[in-house]
Amino acid sequence: MSDHASASSADAGVQEDLACTLLSKHFGDFTAVDGVSFSIPRGSFFSILGPSGCGKTTLLRMLAGFQQPDSGDILIKGQSVLNTPPNKRPVNMVFQHLALFPTMSVAENIAYGLKRKGVPKREHATLIDEVLAKVHLPGYGDKRIDQLSGGQKQRVAIARCLVLNPAVLLLDEPLGALDLKLREQMKIELKRLQREFNTTFVYITHDQSEALVMSDQVAVMNKGQFEQVGTPQELYYQPKTAFVAGFVGDSNQYAGKVQSQSGDAVTIVTEQGVRLLSHANQPLLAGAPVTLFVRPEVMQISTSRPATEQDNCLAVTVSRVLFDGAQSRVQVETAEGAELTVALPQTADFQALEPGRSVHVSWQASQCLCFVAPADTKPLGTQ
Amino acid sequence: MSKTSGNFNRTQYRLGFWLLLAPIVLWLSLLIILPHIDMVLVSLRERIASREYAFSFGNYTAFFTEPLYWNTFVRTAVMSIVATVMTLIIAFPVSFYIAKVLTGRPRIALFILCLLPFWVSELVRTYGWMILLRETGLISGALQWFGLADQPVEMLYNDVAIMVGLIYTSMLFMVVPLVTTLDSLDNSLIEAGYDLGGSSFHVMRSIVIPHAMPGIMSGCIVVFMLTLGNYLTPTLLGGKSSLWFTEQIYTQFITRFNWEQGAAFGILLLILSSLIVWLGLKITRQSFTRVMS
Repeated sequence: MSDHASASSADAGVQEDLACTLLSKHFGDFTAVDGVSFSIPRGSFFSILGPSGCGKTTLLRMLAGFQQPDSGDILIKGQSVLNTPPNKRPVNMVFQHLALFPTMSVAENIAYGLKRKGVPKREHATLIDEVLAKVHLPGYGDKRIDQLSGGQKQRVAIARCLVLNPAVLLLDEPLGALDLKLREQMKIELKRLQREFNTTFVYITHDQSEALVMSDQVAVMNKGQFEQVGTPQELYYQPKTAFVAGFVGDSNQYAGKVQSQSGDAVTIVTEQGVRLLSHANQPLLAGAPVTLFVRPEVMQISTSRPATEQDNCLAVTVSRVLFDGAQSRVQVETAEGAELTVALPQTADFQALEPGRSVHVSWQASQCLCFVAPADTKPLGTQ
Repeated sequence: MSKTSGNFNRTQYRLGFWLLLAPIVLWLSLLIILPHIDMVLVSLRERIASREYAFSFGNYTAFFTEPLYWNTFVRTAVMSIVATVMTLIIAFPVSFYIAKVLTGRPRIALFILCLLPFWVSELVRTYGWMILLRETGLISGALQWFGLADQPVEMLYNDVAIMVGLIYTSMLFMVVPLVTTLDSLDNSLIEAGYDLGGSSFHVMRSIVIPHAMPGIMSGCIVVFMLTLGNYLTPTLLGGKSSLWFTEQIYTQFITRFNWEQGAAFGILLLILSSLIVWLGLKITRQSFTRVMS
């Protein structure tokens, strides 16, 4: 899948709305974007996911034309736009704080772009009504911006861009300011709008849930580079680097050393001295430092030792129960002092789980991943 | 118990409120309202004999029948409006540059540079202009030295000199409110303006100027008031030909000892300035409270 999204297929750009080749940007000594190449198929929802300061905003601003790359090229519909100023580029942007013009009404906000594009004035009313209906805000044209709620402003900001039929719509974490419930609704809404308008969306976020729910393709960005490009499922189940494994979804992370390897299976001893069996997709030398990732939901929790033989089975003590409805977790500790966070199924068996109780936690080797850790860095959030 | 202490707090709070308000109330009533009431009364009387006065509109009719008063009045108003507009035209790009283009130290430095001339008294600043513009002044000397003029050039005592002086004096009072409002304009609004296809001209006209309108109007009101009521600059730079309305008031009060006529002129100037500010706000559809906040 990641080959599909690489720069090698830059031929004429028939199926691509947006492609970048070896894009770089430096600010003094700091490298914000470091040789990023990608291409986005027409009409897809593409997310760039990364922690703050990873260079994703700089990348987006280069696509919009507010910043000039130091090297590399940006192609929109096969045409280089490096020398095109932002007001002439066929891309539009939904800003982080939306940037609706407060001195204008909703209709005037939408009409601003139409006027600049030279659409005849008599067509404005119809186009504005159409786009407002599509974002589920019919009849809101005469409202002032300060009369709208957060979610409505969001929709106006999107309508204002989509009415211009851009080749690519750029979205700069627009959901960040919304409360949780509304954010969940807007995720679904954005996906619907993207389908309906069939426009290529480039969405940047630091929230992995937003990226996973909405995107066709996600690029995980770290320190100015793309760590991995793939579908949400690929990133979640087959992360290629330790950073992706740690950043996408929740994981228990352990630093450890390889004891032995036979085929795909490796035996690892963690720093606390717990022996674990893991899957590895590369040959590992005995004694090599590795980082091990286990997702909370792959672990089976049971009050007695499981009847069937499991690759990993630990006798642990409950130290904390973190109740959160369906997302409830339990923190447990092994005899050696290693902490694990395990998903807690909301069934009758575990209702009475209390700190101090002894339980068993088990999982298969194929359900955990290990990556070679550079010896000089801490395991958390590094490659 | 809690109720009585609550009441006590409230009375205490009220007392504090009135004490804090007292200086401004005293200032307004003693120095602004009372003198103006007296001025209205003085302007509405006429001396019929020594120390004998009668109610009369004579001072006001004199203003409308004497063309010199009239012309001076209109001339002062027009010159003040022109000076205000010119100040705005010069100050806007400067303010935009300070508020939106510069960042960090250069920005503060430039802002202080705008402020610096105002540490010197207006009189000294105006003399500065006189040193530059007079017949034996710097500019005249330079022109002769370069051979562009074969005799001393007098650049003082004309309308242009007055205008230059007025704009120079007013600059700060336009730059400060403009920088403040432009500073509050979110940069992403300007970027959004470009992103949606606007040229610099459109972004300026549809986004920056509407946002800055309260600042523009408050700057204009302050500059207009200061210019209209300015006495020093027109007198020094305009000399005998300045014909500024405040000079007429001065002449009536001091030279001719005609307090009644002077008071009538003062009231007329107040009405004129209020009227023009009101008109300005109406034309630009701004409310006074919004502009002043």
